[in-house]
Amino acid sequence: MVQVTFIDPAGHETNVDVRPGWSMMQAATANGVKGIEAECGGSCACATCHCYVEGPAASAVPAAQDMELAMLDMVVAEHKPNSRLSCQIKAAPEIEGLILRVAEVQS
Amino acid sequence: MSAFCGIEGLVLSSVRPVITIAAVGGAKEASTGRARMFKFDPYSPEVDADPFEAYRTLREEYPCFWSPEANMWVLSRYEDIVTALSDWQTYSSAKGNLMTELPGRAGATLGTTDPPRHDRLRALVQQAFIRRNLEVLSEPIRDIARTTAGALAGRSTFEYVSEFSSKFTVRVLFATLGLPIGNEQEVRDKAVTMVQSDPVTRAKGPEHIAAYNWMQEYASKVIADRRLNPQNDLISHFSTAEIDGDRLDEREVLLTTTTLIMAGIESLGGFMAMLAYNLSGLPEVQAAVVAGPELIPDAIEESLRFNTSAQRFRRNLQRDVELHGQTMKAGDFVCLAYGSGNRDERQFSNADVYDLERRPKGHLGFGGSVHACLGTAIARLAAKIAMEEFHLVFPKYSRVHEKLDWMPSSTFRSPLKLELAVH
Repeated sequence: MVQVTFIDPAGHETNVDVRPGWSMMQAATANGVKGIEAECGGSCACATCHCYVEGPAASAVPAAQDMELAMLDMVVAEHKPNSRLSCQIKAAPEIEGLILRVAEVQS
Repeated sequence: MSAFCGIEGLVLSSVRPVITIAAVGGAKEASTGRARMFKFDPYSPEVDADPFEAYRTLREEYPCFWSPEANMWVLSRYEDIVTALSDWQTYSSAKGNLMTELPGRAGATLGTTDPPRHDRLRALVQQAFIRRNLEVLSEPIRDIARTTAGALAGRSTFEYVSEFSSKFTVRVLFATLGLPIGNEQEVRDKAVTMVQSDPVTRAKGPEHIAAYNWMQEYASKVIADRRLNPQNDLISHFSTAEIDGDRLDEREVLLTTTTLIMAGIESLGGFMAMLAYNLSGLPEVQAAVVAGPELIPDAIEESLRFNTSAQRFRRNLQRDVELHGQTMKAGDFVCLAYGSGNRDERQFSNADVYDLERRPKGHLGFGGSVHACLGTAIARLAAKIAMEEFHLVFPKYSRVHEKLDWMPSSTFRSPLKLELAVH
């Protein structure tokens, strides 16, 4: 299991043990993290699972691919350098301890 | 539990669960050495009518189950299904995703390819299905809904599937794709027939194959026309697209177009029938969404969880997988029972209760991960507008019959007919 922390728009923190291979979006929705909409179900087609990655593990997250970069242009909240779509980040040992701050608005 | 809910046992048909005492043999039986008294046959009319008791047995007693009738493993727990959806390298779609696949289709559509080929196809069509690019369709869809519902005004009873949802979905698809008007009913009938399967032979029958071939012919004429007379629409774009100088091959264009037509009519129609089925059996929920149309999106999400029309899809294993004490072998097919994962108490509390206030996230009503339904946004938009307009004409309605005839399909579940009485 890979432990990560979500911080929802109200500031509430949730520590989640994620099965390797699951996406951060799946971990968030399966654990009731508020603020993630994930309308498209994880196919990188809606930009409503927008998070900001923080903490020492953020630099270990693999870089966004073209499809994610295109969708990140469509996020409603501020697009920052650490903006990511949580459906595109998979649980793996190197991101242990990652902090994901859920964007304050998704759509 | 909220005020707006219903217990499954009260609202579903009276068909009893499909648990039979049977000695079931087969290769996997020998390999596991377990005598089984339970069978799960996705081709049986009993499962078409009510799979939920069988799903419960699968989840609780046989979470990794070999079904000789389906000739595949069945995964029924939410966690196992999400894990499989997340791992397309192991659980491949390239040998088909429909439980009973159509000939020649695997490998040429979005749902039947793996990345990176899948991503290449998806990149071509995805833009057209993103929510903000669909807003322009809202008013045309509303006009269609208003006209279709309005034509039924004054009736005391009507058949929802043929007289409302089918007419609505086929008109929406024709408007969206700019298809020539005239044979909508025929296109609809073929789309519905091609997804069905024969419960006796456990395969596609001649009528299903004929419908599929007819649809391919129809799609090929549309594609030829768009190439001659390109318009600013999805099929024109798709049929002439090149990526990095690499044009889609004819089979990809043809079968993806065929699948878009099938999904646009059958899948949306099936879902709308399930939504109306739920609302017509849950008077409190119905009254709440009629009084507060802003609650319709919540009803849509809970219906997708509670009673999705896309019940089961399949994958093909690319390596051996150990799960719940069983060994699934490379090459085996695996059924992902979305309809069961959506009722898994480990994920959804009071899962057999329709709760309008649940607002479920992460449900499997559209599948998930790379192969999540392409049409999530248009399906939600069209279903919402349809019910808003439907409720303006029919603010109170109920089912005429409790026992319904269900579509014979190993993949999808929806009633063939839904007679409604107006109050």
